[in-house]
Amino acid sequence: MPKTIHLKVNGKQHAVAVEPDTMLLYVLRDQLGLHGPKFGCGLSECGACTIHLDGAAVHSCVLPATAAEGRAITTLEGLGSVDKPNPLQQAFIDEQAVQCGYCINGMIMTAQAFLDKHPNPSRDDIKQALNRNLCRCGTHMRIVRAVERAAKNGRQSA
Amino acid sequence: MNARPETVFANSDLSDFGASRREFLKTSGGLVLGFSLLGPMAALAQQPATHIPASATGAAQSLPAVDPAKLDAWLAIHPDNTATLFTGKVEQGNGSPNALAQIAAEELDFPFDKLFVVMGTTTTTVDQGPTYGSMAVRYAGPQIRHAAAAGRQVLLSMAGKRLRVPAEQLTVRDGVVSVVDAPQRSVTYGELVEGKRLDVTIGATGKTFGMKVAPDAKLKDPSKYTIVGTSVPRKDIPGKVTGEFTYVHDVKVPNMLHGRVVRPYGIESDLLSVDESGLRDIPGFVAVVRQRNFLGVVAKTEWAAIKAAEKLGSKLVRKGPTDGQAKWSDWQGLPATPDDLWESLRHASGKVITVANRGHVDAALHAGAKTLKATYRTPFETHGSIGPELAIADVGKDYAKFWAGTQMPHQARRDMAELLDLPVENVEVTWVEASGQYGRNGLEPVMADAAIMSRAVGRPVRVQWMRWDSHGWDPKEPPIVQDLEGALDAKGNVTAWRHHMWVPTLTDTRLLASELIGKPVGKVNLGDAAIKYEYEFDNADVVAHGESRVGVITAWMRAPGQFETTFAMESFIDELAAAAHQDPLAFRLKYLKEPRAIAVLKAAAKQYGWQSRPSFPGKQPGRKANGRGIAWVNRDGSRVATIADVVVDRDTGGIWVKRVVVAHDCGLVISPDGMRNQIEGNIIQSMSRTLHEEITFDRAHVTSRDWVGYPILTFNEIPDSLEMVFVNNSAEYPSNGGGEPSTCPTAAVIGNAVYDAVGVRLRQTPFRKERVKAELDRA
Repeated sequence: MPKTIHLKVNGKQHAVAVEPDTMLLYVLRDQLGLHGPKFGCGLSECGACTIHLDGAAVHSCVLPATAAEGRAITTLEGLGSVDKPNPLQQAFIDEQAVQCGYCINGMIMTAQAFLDKHPNPSRDDIKQALNRNLCRCGTHMRIVRAVERAAKNGRQSA
Repeated sequence: MNARPETVFANSDLSDFGASRREFLKTSGGLVLGFSLLGPMAALAQQPATHIPASATGAAQSLPAVDPAKLDAWLAIHPDNTATLFTGKVEQGNGSPNALAQIAAEELDFPFDKLFVVMGTTTTTVDQGPTYGSMAVRYAGPQIRHAAAAGRQVLLSMAGKRLRVPAEQLTVRDGVVSVVDAPQRSVTYGELVEGKRLDVTIGATGKTFGMKVAPDAKLKDPSKYTIVGTSVPRKDIPGKVTGEFTYVHDVKVPNMLHGRVVRPYGIESDLLSVDESGLRDIPGFVAVVRQRNFLGVVAKTEWAAIKAAEKLGSKLVRKGPTDGQAKWSDWQGLPATPDDLWESLRHASGKVITVANRGHVDAALHAGAKTLKATYRTPFETHGSIGPELAIADVGKDYAKFWAGTQMPHQARRDMAELLDLPVENVEVTWVEASGQYGRNGLEPVMADAAIMSRAVGRPVRVQWMRWDSHGWDPKEPPIVQDLEGALDAKGNVTAWRHHMWVPTLTDTRLLASELIGKPVGKVNLGDAAIKYEYEFDNADVVAHGESRVGVITAWMRAPGQFETTFAMESFIDELAAAAHQDPLAFRLKYLKEPRAIAVLKAAAKQYGWQSRPSFPGKQPGRKANGRGIAWVNRDGSRVATIADVVVDRDTGGIWVKRVVVAHDCGLVISPDGMRNQIEGNIIQSMSRTLHEEITFDRAHVTSRDWVGYPILTFNEIPDSLEMVFVNNSAEYPSNGGGEPSTCPTAAVIGNAVYDAVGVRLRQTPFRKERVKAELDRA
């Protein structure tokens, strides 16, 4: 039977009726209309569905929605918008670090959580941080450059 | 609901549109868009609808094709002096909308940032042929260029009347027409057109790729270009990095249900029975759709559809044909071992294509001072789009509407009409961008799945494949086996060259669901295997055995066939160079006469800093060995030479590609940064194919059904540097394709570099660690 749960997403509270075993990804996409997180594999293998849960990057395709109750959920939309992209999103625009862009949600959400903890990373650190995120278009070089640029800009503005 | 405030798009700007546009309006009037950065027309061009109230169910309508001879088929000018370019080509992540819009803006003398692009949708765009084969800019570019140039002439003539001066005394800048001697007398394109449609005949002959549009249009002198040849930012990227962009995966249609497929256990298994017990206990479950061997489920929520499909047997690992509530016959018809597969390719029936037949190869082989013989093998590969295939179908009694990311919306429309027994005019495909597809993945087959399910339940159905449906059942790049023989004389000159290749069909467009319901739609063998023979040897015998079938549906993947044939050809010439103890670049140049081929090889060598020496000068000390490799290709007129440095770990067999240099001649580059993005993508993806990718199967089905079973390149493996040089980037050389060519040389480059490092020749992809280690141990 559906159960009403309370989710805090991008700073806003939502009451949603879900099947208790529903994965958070489908609640975010289909019930809350958030299209940042994407379905890629449903197996926690590709990273396209990455969100932040209390600031940590997690795969929402294997996270039951009920497990996210009482935690702070952030999606790509929560970082910034077309009108006001956050510094990492702006760095992706500056580097034109997108081809089809389907994986980019995972790249940005993973990199943002990483940069929040490691503001001064080496290139190898960045590659390691993104190593579980798959990109099929082969945009890797640009994605790494975008994260490097954001880190550099962050250091300059700090 | 979108996170951002929604903008309701009213149709006032477009109220005067003509026949083909009226339907466009009908669906876009009241359209709700989640995009408010740009003006309404801009938003329309940028973003497809997320919520579209019009429903096809029950609505009988007949829509004529857009007439390419009319200016309004290509162009609309809006009162706010923005404009829309309409093209039947689609975006697949390659950035082609930028290039096509740059071409149009250039000829129109119109600001690029105010020109938006509508792509693919069958009711609003001309059928310019599918978007594949690196042909968008090459073929659609000139069509759009001519249409835009004709548009400029029309607008100038309107301005002449308005300003009461001959058109020759007018000049245009950024969509504003002014009198040369009196610049204060001016009028904008938007003011001239006053929101009306551009109902002017500009002329067109031919179809799709061969179509000639506005043949009499006066084209701009390329020396005056200010937009073509510049790097302009892609308009889709801000939306894509913030979650505001609408992919086909994000489209919601009123009354829409969610479908999932349950594929057969074996490739040709028959469906024996379906036990539906327990399905109704899943909240939101609606129906099982069963038609012969087609099986799917429909539910009100995605989660319910996933759970219901899982009960019937849709899951990553299936233990057997009766694992799940659907029971299948135990079909076991695939080859027992990989060796059986390779052998079966040689015996499959197909067409024989003679590519070169010169001199007396047998005699020359016999007389050679040194002869070499080798077999090259490449496996089945999958497209592996990160977003699995998806389509929405709304099938009524006499009308059907689709929302799809297909690379060929106009052809898919015809295929859906055939599948559903409807007149083509009563089928409509609204194109919405999908995850990158790199060839014919499952974006057309999934439309058939959605069509069958929507027809069965009488409501719009959104069908998304699960990861295992995509890896397991999308059309595959086929395995290819190639035998080569060559002879050298005492001076190290090539005296004989033989290359026989077995290339199963790359163009099987049968739709899986249509096969499963017993009403086949699609064709096999639309074209020849992609082989190009470039070296000028006195005695040569090059033969392709093409078009055979190999158990599963096989179709094109980026640079189909030529990725593999270049691997064999460019590795074997390297083998001959090594046997002759000659520098591999100089050795190639001895047998090439074509100036553009020579130019890319020399440009790559210059950028790399190539020093002449034979490969594998000797065993290097230590665990890791460094090597360099070179290869090149002519893919359909685009020439690419690639040089790479690799590091081989002798203990593990691991290969790291450290530095890549690419010299690329596709003629005039429209959008340099877009082209660089494409080349980077080609190189990284083809490295992935070379090092990792291979589909595995048992006798019933594909077993590599996820990213663990079918690994691709990860961030830790990317090169330190990837350098690019454009060759012949000028208007004397018409723009050719850039979406695929730089994929072709990569496997040979890496294999040749590994040989240079460790003296071991790799003749089968993928070069996974275990395989390389085994070869190292054998040496």
